[in-house]
Amino acid sequence: MSARPRTARRASRARGISVWLIALLVALVATVQIRSEAEVERSLVGIDSTSLAFLIDDLHRANESLDAEKAALVRLRAQLQSGQSGAADQVLTDEANRLRALEGLVPVQGPGVVMVIDASGLQALDLQDALNNLAAAGAEAIDVNQRRVVTGVPVTQTRDGVAIDGVVVVPPWKISVIGDVNRLAAVADLMAQQLRADRRVREATYRIDSDVVIRSVISERPFVYAVAS
Amino acid sequence: MTRPHIATFALIALVALATGFVLAGQIRAQLLTPSNQLARYQALVRNVQELEATNADDRRQIASLRVQIDGLESEAAARSAATQALKSQLSDLRAHAGLIAMHGPGLEVSLRNGVPGPDTGGKAGYLINFQDVQDVVNLLFAQGAEGIAVNGRRITPLTAFSGSEGQIVIDQGTPFTAPVKVAAVGDRNRMQEALDDPSALPDIRARQVQFQVHLTFEGSPNVSLPAYDSSLQIPHVSST
Repeated sequence: MSARPRTARRASRARGISVWLIALLVALVATVQIRSEAEVERSLVGIDSTSLAFLIDDLHRANESLDAEKAALVRLRAQLQSGQSGAADQVLTDEANRLRALEGLVPVQGPGVVMVIDASGLQALDLQDALNNLAAAGAEAIDVNQRRVVTGVPVTQTRDGVAIDGVVVVPPWKISVIGDVNRLAAVADLMAQQLRADRRVREATYRIDSDVVIRSVISERPFVYAVAS
Repeated sequence: MTRPHIATFALIALVALATGFVLAGQIRAQLLTPSNQLARYQALVRNVQELEATNADDRRQIASLRVQIDGLESEAAARSAATQALKSQLSDLRAHAGLIAMHGPGLEVSLRNGVPGPDTGGKAGYLINFQDVQDVVNLLFAQGAEGIAVNGRRITPLTAFSGSEGQIVIDQGTPFTAPVKVAAVGDRNRMQEALDDPSALPDIRARQVQFQVHLTFEGSPNVSLPAYDSSLQIPHVSST
């Protein structure tokens, strides 16, 4: 007589457990769903996958440059540590010559591109952007209409037009650049296309040159305010 | 059928219905695709983080190597007057190249993002971008700055600015976003006057009005600039 109610109670308890199990599963799936979507949303804020891929490319290139610099510095250190007669003088002379070329203090030559931009109404900002684009493409030396340009040389707007270090550069601008030809040509090509779409621009061309010669130089200005730390 | 039975079945039906809705929602939302997207995205992010860590480590090593080399050069210079003269010339060149930490009077310019405004053709005008930094740096150099650092990164004769919306990359450094601090050593009165000129930095000034982009600056009797810690190789250049 008491067996039937006990069986019924057991069956009812089993059903109850299965209901709770299903409810738990539903809650779990819902939580996973909501959390995964929230995570995607949160992590994608600010930067998309394509930009990340470009960033990775840039970082690879940057790290390769840093590796090359490290290797050069290790060689330099080894030369200095060798203690050979004249080794230090040679290291110091070579390094001074390299920095003179880098700072635009001496004429230089090497492979690169030569761009010609003929336009009316282009501003100093346009030239600054063009020079920065070329610098970002690895330009190692730049000259605009026989004026040497490095970062820090003022490119300003005057009543008479765009001036480099106070001297007006009248269009057409001939921009000679030394550096990695492939990278420079890719950027020059893009710049030329964009410039041609500008109504102010009459001509925007570039050519690759295996031996760009830059004779213009910058005069070194002694520091007045800065003190080495 | 007893009343508890009916209640149990109703509950099961309700749960089954809810399960059905959740599953349908899941399929419609393509849970698997976002999961894959997320995994891919996370892999890219991890890759960036690893590369950034390598980058920072490389720059630390470069800074350390330059200190060691300077020490060895000083030792050599102590033994010979000719070497001492060369070393002195080289120190001056290094200072101009940004390879030596410096300090002196100057100012610090602060750039901070504004607030998003009405659509401006896909351009996030409220964000400080690399062109803003480039414009401020150019302005300060044009006013005689002798050395500049942006968020602790020294500007050199070969410096280039790049980046996508709101991201700023200087040379071989890792990207950063606003707030940006531009520290400059030089004639601070001249630099302050230029920054006060309403016709200077027209793009930033327009966005100050439109998006409340922040541009502030403060003079200081002693601004410190770190030494450049990245590559200054010019493998394609040779002297004529």
